[in-house]
Amino acid sequence: MKVAVYVVEQGGDWEARISLNMAVDQLWWTGRETNVPGWNRQPADRIVLLSRSLPLGWAVKLATACRFTGKMQHWDEAAWSRGAAALLKAEIRAEQAAGGGRGRDWPFEEVEMYRLVGAKGYGGGEEGSVDWGDGRSEWTGEWMNEHGNERTNARVDRRISEKADERVNGRRNERESEWTGGRMYGHGNERTNARVDRREELAAGADRLAEALAGRSLLQGEAEALVAEQLPELAGNWLAAAQLAYLQGRLRLEAAVCGTAGAALGLRRREVLRCLRCGSVPTGRTACAACGLAGCAYCEACLALGRSRACALLLRSAPLPAVRCTAGVAPTVTARRWGLSAAQAAAAAAALGFLAEPRKRSAAGGPERFLLWAVTGAGKTEITFPLLEAALAAGGRALIATPRRDVVLELAPRLAKAFPADVPAVLYGGSEDRWSRSRITLATTHQLLRFNQAFDLVIIDEIDAFPYHNDPMLAYAARQVCKPEGAFIYLSATPPVELQRLARFGRLPHARVPVRFHGYPLPVPRHVQMQPLNRCLKQGRLPKRLLQALQHSIDRKAQIFLFVSRIAHIDGLLLLLRRMYPNLTIEGTSSKDPARAGKVLEFREGTISLLVTTTILERGVTVPHSDVFILDADSGLFDEAALVQMAGRAGRSKDDPAGNVIFASAEWSRSQRAAISQIRRMNAMARRQGYFKS
Amino acid sequence: MNPLMSWVKQARSLVAPALPQCLFCGRQARSSPDMPGICLSCYSRIPWIRRPRCQTCGRHVGCPDCSRSRGPVPIRCNRSAVAYTREMREILGQYKYRGNERLTPLLGQMLDKAYALLQKEQSDRQRTGGTLQTHFFCKPIMALKSNLSRSNLWQADLLVPVPVSTVRLLERGFNQAEQLAEVLCRRRDLLQLPLLVRTRHTAKQSFKSRSERLADMKHAFTGNMDAAVLHRLREQLDATAFRGQQRPLRIIIIDDIYTTGSTIRACADALHSLCESMGCTAEIYSLTWARS
Repeated sequence: MKVAVYVVEQGGDWEARISLNMAVDQLWWTGRETNVPGWNRQPADRIVLLSRSLPLGWAVKLATACRFTGKMQHWDEAAWSRGAAALLKAEIRAEQAAGGGRGRDWPFEEVEMYRLVGAKGYGGGEEGSVDWGDGRSEWTGEWMNEHGNERTNARVDRRISEKADERVNGRRNERESEWTGGRMYGHGNERTNARVDRREELAAGADRLAEALAGRSLLQGEAEALVAEQLPELAGNWLAAAQLAYLQGRLRLEAAVCGTAGAALGLRRREVLRCLRCGSVPTGRTACAACGLAGCAYCEACLALGRSRACALLLRSAPLPAVRCTAGVAPTVTARRWGLSAAQAAAAAAALGFLAEPRKRSAAGGPERFLLWAVTGAGKTEITFPLLEAALAAGGRALIATPRRDVVLELAPRLAKAFPADVPAVLYGGSEDRWSRSRITLATTHQLLRFNQAFDLVIIDEIDAFPYHNDPMLAYAARQVCKPEGAFIYLSATPPVELQRLARFGRLPHARVPVRFHGYPLPVPRHVQMQPLNRCLKQGRLPKRLLQALQHSIDRKAQIFLFVSRIAHIDGLLLLLRRMYPNLTIEGTSSKDPARAGKVLEFREGTISLLVTTTILERGVTVPHSDVFILDADSGLFDEAALVQMAGRAGRSKDDPAGNVIFASAEWSRSQRAAISQIRRMNAMARRQGYFKS
Repeated sequence: MNPLMSWVKQARSLVAPALPQCLFCGRQARSSPDMPGICLSCYSRIPWIRRPRCQTCGRHVGCPDCSRSRGPVPIRCNRSAVAYTREMREILGQYKYRGNERLTPLLGQMLDKAYALLQKEQSDRQRTGGTLQTHFFCKPIMALKSNLSRSNLWQADLLVPVPVSTVRLLERGFNQAEQLAEVLCRRRDLLQLPLLVRTRHTAKQSFKSRSERLADMKHAFTGNMDAAVLHRLREQLDATAFRGQQRPLRIIIIDDIYTTGSTIRACADALHSLCESMGCTAEIYSLTWARS
């Protein structure tokens, strides 16, 4: 989009601003009608309108890069035009190289200067140096006229709309003139009262908008959808309300892709374009009809949430103060209230202590982190309830982010039950609550991109799971959502090596829950020697010792998870197994299986007794009476974390706490050894701390 | 991650052969030789329309619409590159709604295949229809030669992209039809002119029934009255006249998708009346990326 950009002098101070709706700025800077709350009271002395329609990205850069000096007091239009062009030198040059060059003074051909009546230096000798054109003096007439004047306004409007015709940006200006002419003043009967009413209405609109956008980071289209759903009364005029909120300092108007200081190259820091929403470096640059540039950069990494580009408006609320999440209740009381086991209660108490302690404002800044390392089946969700409660009690907002949609759907009713007063906002691709606001937000990771410094407490579930792991975009998103003084809680059964190391060296506060909620030790995997699976499939038979173990599980009527490393092996293995065990219901599924959800459900219900699958089922699926077999456990695709997670599928219920876990492989690899030692370590720790049921 | 490990990882990725990322499925895989940019397996799954069943609208399956209405159709024929399957809808959505403009050259190249098909059909027709005349003036051997030469191949004179409304253009930042036409222009050395403008903003077509679309589209377009554009059209007319070809101007309307044909027909009507006002006749074809 294109916006207006101007500099304003008020009491000797200069500021640069952008505008989505000049009519609002015009009212703001006249500073009359001091009794209307939410409006500026001190009139501006001078306004230099640098451009009425500049590509948003350029306007934002201009407004931020503008440094004011005393010399500017005496600048005329031509000097301002040159000065502004100098700030955008790199951009203008790049645009001309892309073939989009215009005339000599482009894009600041028409700099307009306005001065308010009664302002310092008005009517002084400087007047002569400023060339007021016909149209301009008319507009100054509006500035000078205390009660406005319908005739003048009408003329101003006509002028604006005439201008609008010449520009691509017809829609915005059309609305602008409608606002000035119709809504702001009322036709015919010109009354100060009506104007005051309009100002109050707009100020109220800005209040509601700023509240609805608190902690958000939304592109214009998303904000429009939010307004349509949450504030339908603002729908036609929300950009005017947004402009007022921006002038009030409650809303930030940013270009979604903008230049940030990059790595130092030699003496000068090179500027690097970055997508503000997802943090990626945009690689695409295309001609854009919305801003008229031949090279308008856009971000390809977060296209799925609407295109973020150099001229796309990104609305963010001004940073909100954070609260400290102190629980007024003793940990033991909390534990009893939420029905936590001893191990869970200890971890919750440690986390609560972390939340309550005063923040050390380190030089690096940013929110502090706490790792909750809880074994598979420890009941992580319950541990988070006291933390959420503490955050809510302190008046804060909390977020639970989880990588998978089904976890969100499963968790939502549990949260709603635990916190009946706060219905959680449940966010995932295509969810209903997309724009609703609640003190508890439950979201999949991609939805985090729509927030900015919104939460006091951010709980990230399965920090090691697929989307965060090696996805800098989601890591950036997660960093962005927490208030700078807020806190992160990471949940994981298998934290990434980096976090484990930090925890070991005492650089990351953490708590471990080494025991499952039922108080029995984790099943320790057993190794069974076998040839690589593809060779077995070629020969058409499985090794005897594996079959013995399988038979044992079948005899004890356990449901069996059979993990393989490659999707290609599933069909062959299914054939073989069905031939060997004709009485068993055997199914296979993978990420490529369209009937996957149905099969998982059947397995959960117990109609399928053996499921051949890949790592897609390593997390989340819980079957009470189950055994786990991992074939080709030495495969490079199974790392330590994956092995621990898969082993964690067994022995989940308190009726059958000791399931069997078999690692079948040709080689006894490092990750298998590490997984087993991790499980043993946790068991030993639980025993030492006396968490096991005797 | 351990800095040493990450360094080792980077070094390894430096040594490993770089496979390009497929623009359709996003996987790193060998790209197809015919269309660099997408992988072999995606390429093999493209539902090309190689032999249209309906000669009028280029549909790959039997077309009740064309056989039902025997009324005069303002276009000679439509040809489309691919059938609008679920996968193709996904691709078009990626491009049009999500704005992944990296797909432009690829989709343009696919449209080019449809152009090639149209060109071949029309050239064949020209040859069989015009054999007598050729024999009359030239020696047979010459005729054969010139048949093969490029100049005798059927060529369009002008491409006209279907315009999108200003609202949509500002929202999206580009006109997909214009971008596709641009690729075609560059590949085939053709000219595109924005001869059409939208008279009003119509709601998204994809939410409407057939009859609603037909009613809605009537008079949604009109000829562009911009002096510069009309001047270039005049130049193009003069150029064809200069080549001594006494034939109507061949115009191809370009769009991303042909569903009921209401858009194309409305455009063709507007183009016919524009050409009439310029004092010339036009033969109008249409070329779309997908046919549903």
